[in-house]
Amino acid sequence: MTKRVQRSRGGAPARPKTDLGKLKLLLVGLIFAAIWVALWGRAAYVQLYLGPELKKGAEKQSLATGFELGERGRIYDRNGSILATSVESKSVYVSPIKVDNAAQTAQILAQILDVPKKSVEHDLASKKGFVWIKRQIGDREAQALEAEKLPGVFLTNEYRRMFPNHHSAGQVLGFVGVDGLGLEGMEKRFETRMAGRQAKYVVQRDATGRRLYLDDQGREMDIRGADVKLTLDTVIQDAAEQSLAEAVTKYNGRSGMAIVVKVDTGEILALAHFPFLNPNAASLSRPSARRFRAALDMFEPGSIMKPFVFAAALEQKVIDQSKIFDCENGKWVLRGKTIRDTHPYRWLSANRILRYSSNIGTAKIGLALGAQPYYSALRKLGFGERSGLDIPSESAGLLRQPKEWGEFDLATISFGQGIGVTGLQMARAYMVLANKGVPKPLKLVLDPAPTPQPPANRVFSEQTVETVLSMMREVVEEDGTGKLARIPGVLGAGKTGTAQKAAATGKGYGEGNVASFVGLYPGDKPEYLIMVIVDEPSPVAFGGIVCAPAVRDIAIKTLSYYNRLPEAKASTQPEPSESSMQAKATRAPSATAGANVPDLTGLPVRRALEVLGKRGIVPEIKGSGMVISRQKPLPGEAWPEAKSTSKDGGFVLWLQEGTK
Amino acid sequence: MNQRRSTQYYPMDYWLLFAAILLAGIGLIMVFSSSGMMAERFYHDKYLFFKKQAMFSVVGIAAMIFCARVNRKFFYDLTYVWMFVAIMLLGLCLVIGTTAGGARRWIHMGPFSLQPLEFAKPALVLYLAYFFARKQEIMQVKTFSVGFIPPFAATGVMSLLLLMQPDFGGAMLLAILLMFMCLAGGTRIIYLLGAALAGGWGGWLLIASSPYRLKRWTAFLDPFATAQTTGYQLVQSLYAFGSGRFFGAGLGAGKQKLLFLPEAHNDFIMAVVGEELGFLGLSLVLLLMGFLFLRAFRVAFLQEDLMDRLTAFGMTIVLALGACMNLAVVLGTVPPKGVPMPFISYGGSSLIVSFICVGILLNLSRNRT
Repeated sequence: MTKRVQRSRGGAPARPKTDLGKLKLLLVGLIFAAIWVALWGRAAYVQLYLGPELKKGAEKQSLATGFELGERGRIYDRNGSILATSVESKSVYVSPIKVDNAAQTAQILAQILDVPKKSVEHDLASKKGFVWIKRQIGDREAQALEAEKLPGVFLTNEYRRMFPNHHSAGQVLGFVGVDGLGLEGMEKRFETRMAGRQAKYVVQRDATGRRLYLDDQGREMDIRGADVKLTLDTVIQDAAEQSLAEAVTKYNGRSGMAIVVKVDTGEILALAHFPFLNPNAASLSRPSARRFRAALDMFEPGSIMKPFVFAAALEQKVIDQSKIFDCENGKWVLRGKTIRDTHPYRWLSANRILRYSSNIGTAKIGLALGAQPYYSALRKLGFGERSGLDIPSESAGLLRQPKEWGEFDLATISFGQGIGVTGLQMARAYMVLANKGVPKPLKLVLDPAPTPQPPANRVFSEQTVETVLSMMREVVEEDGTGKLARIPGVLGAGKTGTAQKAAATGKGYGEGNVASFVGLYPGDKPEYLIMVIVDEPSPVAFGGIVCAPAVRDIAIKTLSYYNRLPEAKASTQPEPSESSMQAKATRAPSATAGANVPDLTGLPVRRALEVLGKRGIVPEIKGSGMVISRQKPLPGEAWPEAKSTSKDGGFVLWLQEGTK
Repeated sequence: MNQRRSTQYYPMDYWLLFAAILLAGIGLIMVFSSSGMMAERFYHDKYLFFKKQAMFSVVGIAAMIFCARVNRKFFYDLTYVWMFVAIMLLGLCLVIGTTAGGARRWIHMGPFSLQPLEFAKPALVLYLAYFFARKQEIMQVKTFSVGFIPPFAATGVMSLLLLMQPDFGGAMLLAILLMFMCLAGGTRIIYLLGAALAGGWGGWLLIASSPYRLKRWTAFLDPFATAQTTGYQLVQSLYAFGSGRFFGAGLGAGKQKLLFLPEAHNDFIMAVVGEELGFLGLSLVLLLMGFLFLRAFRVAFLQEDLMDRLTAFGMTIVLALGACMNLAVVLGTVPPKGVPMPFISYGGSSLIVSFICVGILLNLSRNRT
């Protein structure tokens, strides 16, 4: 230490000044101690004496400023394209006790919002703390109302549901009511997940003025609903819808549905219903158009049921492929009732029975198999129970107990009459054939991930399934009933169905038919399962004519979209649709995928998607209509990154109505 | 050093060390509790302030160890350097400082900001201790020109710079610090009284001259009258204390911090302590702090050398004064001022300087010359 320090220390003990210094220190210390104790006392006073009152004040203020509804979760397709979203709009409510001048307020509200003055007056007289006046009003109305600054009248944010792809997958998505409640389809199924929560909010008192949302207990909460991601792919969905619409309109059907399933995962890529439902304007639609028919509507499937009786019979070794049956020349009386075939045959081997879809032959196979084994196979295939997709009010179909089956019932159920199924059930059953004999649950939702199910037990041996598939390939690839579903270069397997509909009288069968076709592509190792069903087509009712071309159409688009179509074969493929034909004639040469971006303008959307699909590009579609009016990048420019999807920097197509 | 026969060595005051670290630990928990939800919501990182405060703690403890170990000549001989740096920083603050809430109190350095006021406190203590200790020798302290003017001038410059920010509370704190140092240093009481009166009068003029300050004064007198405007913070603070009652809402369960109490993790952190830990928890924290001040005061009291004693005394005052002012503000007994609670409030400058003060005290506790 320094000398200074030593010097001072030297005389320290004897100097009274130091003691005085210490006294001063002590004095200061005591002052601080007193202050500290006083502050402690103040804390006791505030916390213990004033506590109850302060607490009351604190609680009162947390029930604060107002409330707000969170945004409803969105629905996305598998690639993240928005299928359903919400747009903010204002709604008006009143808090009657806070209204100053009821008569004047009612007058102004009625005027601005164009609502009956009487009803507003009635609302204002209400004893409730909160009454809606008008919901989802326009911006101009909201502005006018805000300018009036009426006491007791409040504007709050609400959300209006928007479905950007209009009718695409309309029945699957469902729709919401004006109060934001999901009423049908996925909107209903995921109501609790997607619904925006309603919360009181307070405005943070810092410079940012941010809002905090509170639940009833005053805890902070997230008011935005959770999203849902479906397995659907908008591109495939659009393709399925177009082909389905063509098939239904061309053959004057009442309605139709189409399903595309990715076999390896069971994911439903497309689930189309016609007539379309535009969920943006669901209230304007006919109730029948709103039905999620694939899940709700039960129908008698007819011949598309046959492969299952074949598979069960093969599995039980009741038949083999070449076993022959007498098809009775097209007319067979069993227990006093007549079974007919479309074409008369005599002796047919099992594979030909399926190829030509003989009811009589199939009935005999069913009889040879017996009711109990057939029933048990049907149950294992999922008939008589819901599809597992949890669609609201889904039907379980109608499968009676085998002990109730008479011989004739067994015969008809073998070829798909006298049993009720849904489209989803049928697709699920075919998944067993597509998946080497093991059930594969269908999936419609990616997020939230469905609860994993225990692996299902094998229904048919691989050998059996291979035999049935080979028969189904004959249906398409040989001179079978499904040859219109043939795609050169890609093996197809399938089965037609032309079911009779029960008569409206409830007794016997009427004039109506249900035409159907199920296709598996490629037919030897199925990757995609495609099913089209048309209700009451006329004048032609055969599934092989009404539905097979649509399945083929969808299959081509699906395969090309996933780059599974042999290039050369695909482009030489004749296009049945008129608009495509026209485009082909004028544009096709330039519209194949070359080194640079082709000119797509004037092409139908579908065709353009096909071209782009081959490059793995999913364009963003703007506007509405069927024909491309503009494109980005321009013709001749380099291809954009193949990876880019509908987001920034990708391919954009502008549409316009009309043909050119 | 070899001539210091008479120096007695003691182990450093571990009770003081223990109390400081324990308080910083409590502070860390309370910073997390009071800022977690806010940080999660606005910065998407619940632990943002917690992590930063933990880092400041590490730096602070390192600084404390350094101050406890280093030869005290390091502080004493560089007194004028510390003063110069502190005044430069205060001046710099006016030039390049960040404006927040209408005042320029911070200098941004990358991701961190520095509050010069905090560093000015120990610098001023060192200068005043040095001044009084040296002048004592020649019995000049009692005269006006030597015993009064230089310390007042030095403090005046700093206070003026603070007032220009404006930081009335900071200026006030330095002025009170000066008073106590003068009292202990031996300036005539009559001068101090005169200065206090003059200061009080000047302070009143300052308050009355600015509507901003006057409003803050009235807010303190009846905060509930202006609960939505000027009295807002104080009302929310009192609500928080009141909601805590005796046992508190439970750690992390306070509501005021998230919704209503601005700067909950900062100057008003004691309100969160009161709400979440109740009067019981608050009392324990106050007891621990009181214990720390007691140990610090004891260190000062035991110093025989005037320079050492005044330095230790000054460091104790810096901590105790900050704590008293903070507590008085959040409990609504004095007009609101932005004063952090030492060791508890979030903030690197305050925490590190608090650790430095304790470090110097620990240094002095090791030997009494």
